[in-house]
Amino acid sequence: MDFDLFSVVQRSIMDPQSTGEVLRTLLTVAWLLPLCGFVAEIYWLRWSHRLSKSAAYSAVACIGIGFLCSASALVYWGVQTNWQALQATEHGEHGEHAEHEHAEHEHAELHQPADAAKAEAAAHAVDKHEHQQAAVGEEHPHEGNHAVAPKFYSGSFYKLAQFGSLIVSLDWYIDSLTLVMFTMVTFIATCIHLFAIGYMKDELTEEYEDHQVHTSHGHFTRPGRFHRFFAYLSLFCFSMLGLVLAGNIFQVFIFWELVGISSYLLIGFYIERKSASTAANKAFIMNRVGDFGFLIGLMILWTWCGTFQFADVGAEPGLFTMIRGDNGNGVMDVSEDGQQVFLHDTHGHRLETDGKPSSIGYLLLIAAGCGIFAGCIGKSAQFPLQTWLPDAMEGPTPVSALVHSATMVAAGVYLAARFYPVFTPEVLLVIAYIGCITLFVAATIALVATDIKRVLAYSTISQLGYMMLAIGVAGWGAGLFHLVTHAFFKSLMFLCSGSVIAGCHHVQEMPQMGGLRRKMPITAYTMLVGVIAISGLALPIVNIGFSGFYSKDAIVASALAYSNANSVHMLLFVTPLVTAGITAFYMFRLWFLTFYGEPRDQHVYDHCHESPLVMTGPLMALSVLAATCAWSWCLTSGSGEEGPLYRLISFSATVPADAAITSVGPAHVTLPSHHDVHDVHGQAGVLALLAAVAGSVFAYLMYGVRIINPADIRRQFPGTYDFLVDKWRFDVLYDAMFVRPVHIVSAWCAGFDKKVLDGILHASASITMVVSRWDRLFDENMVDGLVNMVGNVTRSIGYSLRVVQTGRLRQYVMWIAVGVVVLFGVLFTSMPR
Amino acid sequence: MGEVGLEAYLFVGAVLFVCGVVCMATKRNGIGVLMGVELVLNGANINFVAFSRFTPLGLDGQATALFVVVLAAAEAAVALAIALNYYNNHLTIDVDRGNELQG
Amino acid sequence: MFSSEFLLGAIVFLPALWAIPLIWFDGQNKDSMRYWTVLGTSLTFVLTLQLWASFDLAQGGMQHSFSKPWIPGWNVNYALGVDGISLPLVVLTGLVTVLAALASWSIDKHVKGYMMLFLLLETGMMGVFLSLDFFLFYVFWEVMLLPMYFLIGIWGGPRREYAAIKFFLYTLAGGVLMLIAMLMFYFYGGKTFDLQELARIAAGQSSTARFSETMQLTAFIMLFIGFAIKLPSFPFHTWLPDAHVEAPTPISMILAGVLLKMGGYGIIRIAMPLCPYGAQYAAYFMVALGVFSIIYGAFAAMAQTDFKRLVAYSSVSHMGYVLLGLAVWKITDGKTTGGEYWNMGISAAMFQMIAHGISSTGMFFMVGVLYDRVHHRDLNKFGGIAQLMPEYSGLAAVIFFAGLGLPGLCGFIGEIFTVLACWNFSPLLAIIAAAGVILTAGYILWTMQRVYLGPEYKGPHPEAITPFTAREKSVAYTLVVFAVLLGVFPNLLFSRMDNSVTKLVQSMSRTYDTHHGAGATVQTTQVR
Repeated sequence: MDFDLFSVVQRSIMDPQSTGEVLRTLLTVAWLLPLCGFVAEIYWLRWSHRLSKSAAYSAVACIGIGFLCSASALVYWGVQTNWQALQATEHGEHGEHAEHEHAEHEHAELHQPADAAKAEAAAHAVDKHEHQQAAVGEEHPHEGNHAVAPKFYSGSFYKLAQFGSLIVSLDWYIDSLTLVMFTMVTFIATCIHLFAIGYMKDELTEEYEDHQVHTSHGHFTRPGRFHRFFAYLSLFCFSMLGLVLAGNIFQVFIFWELVGISSYLLIGFYIERKSASTAANKAFIMNRVGDFGFLIGLMILWTWCGTFQFADVGAEPGLFTMIRGDNGNGVMDVSEDGQQVFLHDTHGHRLETDGKPSSIGYLLLIAAGCGIFAGCIGKSAQFPLQTWLPDAMEGPTPVSALVHSATMVAAGVYLAARFYPVFTPEVLLVIAYIGCITLFVAATIALVATDIKRVLAYSTISQLGYMMLAIGVAGWGAGLFHLVTHAFFKSLMFLCSGSVIAGCHHVQEMPQMGGLRRKMPITAYTMLVGVIAISGLALPIVNIGFSGFYSKDAIVASALAYSNANSVHMLLFVTPLVTAGITAFYMFRLWFLTFYGEPRDQHVYDHCHESPLVMTGPLMALSVLAATCAWSWCLTSGSGEEGPLYRLISFSATVPADAAITSVGPAHVTLPSHHDVHDVHGQAGVLALLAAVAGSVFAYLMYGVRIINPADIRRQFPGTYDFLVDKWRFDVLYDAMFVRPVHIVSAWCAGFDKKVLDGILHASASITMVVSRWDRLFDENMVDGLVNMVGNVTRSIGYSLRVVQTGRLRQYVMWIAVGVVVLFGVLFTSMPR
Repeated sequence: MGEVGLEAYLFVGAVLFVCGVVCMATKRNGIGVLMGVELVLNGANINFVAFSRFTPLGLDGQATALFVVVLAAAEAAVALAIALNYYNNHLTIDVDRGNELQG
Repeated sequence: MFSSEFLLGAIVFLPALWAIPLIWFDGQNKDSMRYWTVLGTSLTFVLTLQLWASFDLAQGGMQHSFSKPWIPGWNVNYALGVDGISLPLVVLTGLVTVLAALASWSIDKHVKGYMMLFLLLETGMMGVFLSLDFFLFYVFWEVMLLPMYFLIGIWGGPRREYAAIKFFLYTLAGGVLMLIAMLMFYFYGGKTFDLQELARIAAGQSSTARFSETMQLTAFIMLFIGFAIKLPSFPFHTWLPDAHVEAPTPISMILAGVLLKMGGYGIIRIAMPLCPYGAQYAAYFMVALGVFSIIYGAFAAMAQTDFKRLVAYSSVSHMGYVLLGLAVWKITDGKTTGGEYWNMGISAAMFQMIAHGISSTGMFFMVGVLYDRVHHRDLNKFGGIAQLMPEYSGLAAVIFFAGLGLPGLCGFIGEIFTVLACWNFSPLLAIIAAAGVILTAGYILWTMQRVYLGPEYKGPHPEAITPFTAREKSVAYTLVVFAVLLGVFPNLLFSRMDNSVTKLVQSMSRTYDTHHGAGATVQTTQVR
């Protein structure tokens, strides 16, 4: 890299458009390649055969190229912005202007050190206009070394619909968070795709026998579905990347649903298993419950703001500008009475309609925020919609690793973070409490779970709770930091569990394992890296730990600062602290039960074997990152919150937290500033580390050296134990509260149709029939009777007259004669003389 | 001897008429019936002629009588033909046997 | 390329003329008649595509319109024309008819009569969508009714007579109400049946005639019931499940794909422009009814065990969105507020009609494919179809997902946009309508689980389950392509409808504002 960095920087900042275009192109390629892969792989049997691994290679190629594109986009962005993100640009107050000379990103190649002086100047040049800069923008560059990189680039792909001034389109929005997420997702996905080649090789057969399924003819066999698995994985990658790239909330919703359906397909991959298809349905429907809330949020914003855009489009303000205004301190422009939030245009003035300032009701904004967050609850399996995630473990293990731990479920956190500017402090409080409840509930269930994947699933829910909590307590960067570190160590642990499951021939119950570290050492020790990372263990004094230590530290520190500022919400600090200990305990319990001690099931142990390189390779790659992704690349700069990863993420922060903010809304909470968090950082770190160490030691005593017998404890609290094993009885509750009532109501509706509506119809039909029958009687008797009577009378007269016609000629003559005589007689008697 | 008056003619006509009617009513022989008809017609003829003579009708009555004679002749011819056919069908000319038109 | 008279006339009458040569076909040679019908419907479809291509996006008014005297004494004209509202429906009709003709191979009884009625039916449907004369519209409405009656009554399932008569009576009842309304307009509007002229009168732009508020309201109620029967909306929907269950597959496809759209089209083309006051007066009721239909249809669908009945109830649910979208006309202080949201609602309702035309046609086709093989529709006696017919099941899944409202497929845009447009009108109703997405997901996924997933097929005739044939594939892929196309590029449709819908919305709003703006504040508050 021996080009003139200065001129590159100048050019790029003067011309953000071209930088944005390049980034967009790279990320779009990374985004659309898996879609092409999906289409090709779903029809793979057309040009290949069932025993070929080529579908997997295609999928790996797609996502691998995607990773290269994402990584190069990240590097390109870094170079173009002079790596300003890695310098302590954001908030000068806590004075930690750490060395930024050799800042480095986890996947990035070496790059030139930044010009320190220029960066310094840049750091102070954040003024009103900078963080509104858009790629489409008409920004006027600041002269010389006052140039500051735009915070984000955005633009539009194409228009979905337009109704007057209301426009819905597919957009892109790229900031450092997008880039980090892209790189993280594509990297993990690549590792998992590779792992899956080994894990799914059973499917490379014409006759796959599924022992979990029984048919009326005994064993169930089917052709393998290797290609289809990779097709679904590709579809998922496409959806997930689209979600991250989305430039408006509606587009997020689109891909939100698409990741949902990918997840549905992958959970239900073993379509012949009833449990799998039921779990898939459950996952999708519970997500839809969340999406119902999401939709309400969308409706409110759409109606009151008239746009879905995150960023401004030309002179049209996006959501962030509208809600947050542009006064630089991140405070919403709330009316005197606290009822209205005024909307702002791109110049920081209040938007006006018909001469009156346009505004959105404060309560409506809270409702919108809670609605959007409801979507996050569903997707991230937060309380009260957490029950689908453990069931989702029915899917193949690589799916659990990719979709249900590292990426898709984290999308809820991602959205909550992305949409942070729109959330009022009250919404944040809701988020914090939801996260707090979730992390505790899930951790307690994980204590008693015995299925290795389910333990990990509950730990995922719990960790997602941590992230939500962090966002809720204004630890925006901390939450996302944990998202990324968690993605690495959790996908690592899931893959390890997958390796164990594959090695033990689909045994998942930990009581049947034990001592496996001797048989599968790579799996065991990479797993240990993950366990240490999630537990947050670190070396005291020097404060060096694996990635999870730093991110959890950051969260606990934010929580402590928050509870200091709002003593009412003390629980928001205590719960995560306690749960940190629980986390360490159950994770070490898992490791000890699986890999440590003596084998408990000799049969399983004997047939167990280490996985091939295609599976262990990704494990090792991930374990390196799980350990080090929060570190600084060189020892002179700080790790954790001074490390490059955190800096990269927090560069995207849309709401500055230079000073504590007190809510004007009904909840009256105070959001701590960075300074507050920094003050309590050391204190929180020590407490969290103590909790983690306590948990780990306790686990070692119970499951490592077995000084304490877990069965004794179980016997002492049978009620609690059963309650936890039944997963706090949420499933039973929901079944009684929602599933059955829905079926009952639907039966009512169908019955109403059949009985009432059709009944009315049939009754009216019968009435018509009765009336017409009467009509017939009347017709037949009255009308016809009259006519017939005339006929009958005539006829009977005729009959009576026929006797006169004797046919006897002489008689006729007699009658004539007599008649004449009578006539004469009459004439003579009656004629007047 | 004084001139014979109208009444005498009418009397003769009436007698003839009654004889004819009685003949028609009593004869079973078809020819007899025909003969009765001739008597009735001639009874009527006498009346026409008599009225022609004694009233100011002039020759109209006699002309009518002539018509009646001619018609009677034609009638007799037709009736005899009927009688013949009747005989062919019934092998008798007894009119009482011809009761096919009985109602 | 063609003159307007020829193009529109050919689209309407080509199918009926095409039916005449069928008289001389050999009754035993069934395939030749089937191919003849497919050819005829395809030609019509090509003509509709020509219409699509020659459509001018920039215009909001009628295009290709012409008018010729038909019954001069009554001032009845043979007037046809197309605008952005009818164009998509005409093309949809062309498409669905071709696909239904392709699905008609399962008809084996009296093929000649079937094909002739089928072609006659297409003429009726096209005529309804293209008529600009109320009388002509009514005539085509009834022309379409009779072939349908026979197609259900002769070629239907075991209870076909019941279903056919139910269908016939319901539609006829609606037709009678429409006839009364039509005569009201005829006599109040200076003896004309011209829809555009009547709309001008209703908009108060005529110096000679004016429709009073009472008259508009009365006429609107009658027209609305007539069209709501067709839509179908609760509580006039019970003919639909029976008709669908008994009708043969291709007729179900047409019934769901096209006939139901006539209800929505009638409301938007006739009921609303001709009685703007009535439309506004009944707006809340219509939206509420739409929302109720959404929820009710979804619940009722969930309880069904007959596959076709379930799909039929899903139609009730999906068509509820149409009613919802059409009526979100909000008046505050005697002025239309948020007209753009109403515009969005109408556009989305139109889109939903097209989307439902694709997805429900597809769903009925997919049910028919199974029924042709195993001759039953009991949901509890399926299972494992995905193992036996993987390609079919994959395509069926796409179609069902389109019905479920999955993004990227056509159903999503219509459902979501109508709901989004609704909040401006009434937040409560919008929330209830949005809850429909959960129920829809519930019954569709549950159905798919029972039919397609699972280890083995549990019903009768397992040996009859044969792979997808090429003909069936062509139908399924066409539908899937359209579902994806509309889902990914909805602007293809929206851009065509935009000007016409805008024109309609503006004209109706202006009418209301000028007529009722001054003293209407009290009235509107009563309405609301």
